[in-house]
Amino acid sequence: MCYKVLYIIVMNQPDQHLEDIKVIKKLMEESSRFLSLSGISGIIAGLLAIAGAVAAKLIITGSSPAEDWYAVPFAGDPANNRTVFLLLADMAVVLVLSFGAAVLFSSRKARKSGRNAWTPITRRMLASLFIPLVTGGLFILLTLSRVPANVTVASTLIFYGLAVISAGKFTLGEIHWLGVLEVATGLICLMLPQWSILIWAVGFGAIHIVYGLFMHLRYKG
Amino acid sequence: MKKVLENFNKAFESRVRLGIMSVLAVNRSMDFISLREALEVTDGNLASHLRALEDAGFISIEKSFIDRKPNTKYTITEEGMDSFRHHIKALEDLINKQ
Repeated sequence: MCYKVLYIIVMNQPDQHLEDIKVIKKLMEESSRFLSLSGISGIIAGLLAIAGAVAAKLIITGSSPAEDWYAVPFAGDPANNRTVFLLLADMAVVLVLSFGAAVLFSSRKARKSGRNAWTPITRRMLASLFIPLVTGGLFILLTLSRVPANVTVASTLIFYGLAVISAGKFTLGEIHWLGVLEVATGLICLMLPQWSILIWAVGFGAIHIVYGLFMHLRYKG
Repeated sequence: MKKVLENFNKAFESRVRLGIMSVLAVNRSMDFISLREALEVTDGNLASHLRALEDAGFISIEKSFIDRKPNTKYTITEEGMDSFRHHIKALEDLINKQ
């Protein structure tokens, strides 16, 4: 009898149960993943990287023979100090502007969809991103004058890829594969030293643009 | 009929409790402030529902101090996880029967 009454009550609230499931799904997603990552910022990062690679090529061709077009000069040779400094500054500018675009467009996307962009999950995602990224940055600076230049270029791709894989656990699932692609590109860069800058442009430029477009179309923003 | 209702847990009738269980099911444990941010509820409201879930044995509470400030961590228990899973199953069954 008691069950029958309860059954009638429960069965007569179909909308409420559907709503319950929706709330559960939404909370599980939002509390465990940063959903506001903007695809547009990926496209911008890619364009900035290509501009950075063009600048790098101009910096290099300004100081060494034309046949070394896509290879980066060795930082251990004091004669290359100025070129290497310019190349590092070039990379730093690309990194800072890309990160700025990611912050700007992601907070805009969060605002548009009525989400809070700064949550415990955002902080965990950033910590997972920056631990491998800062480690990579220090590794690159500490080994700069002792390793061949293409190893340095490959390291930027490999550490960035690992940082993305690590942060990917806290954001949209496809980001994991972006990280895997960046690591693979970095490994290819190790094998083809004469094409360093071109491969760097593919890794940070083309791959980001394709990914950004894909994410933008898939998640609308 | 009886089987569906056995899994339909009265302890989860409130949206806030359902919310707490959803968040803890994917995050395992969380502190009070993070829970409040995720659920967008008032302190008093959240505290009373947390107490009810603790009394039911679905979550456990661990109090500690971080920088001399009290910090309370809430963790989902195994029993809580099982009940929550059954409750979702019951909800899905009910919806599919419509």
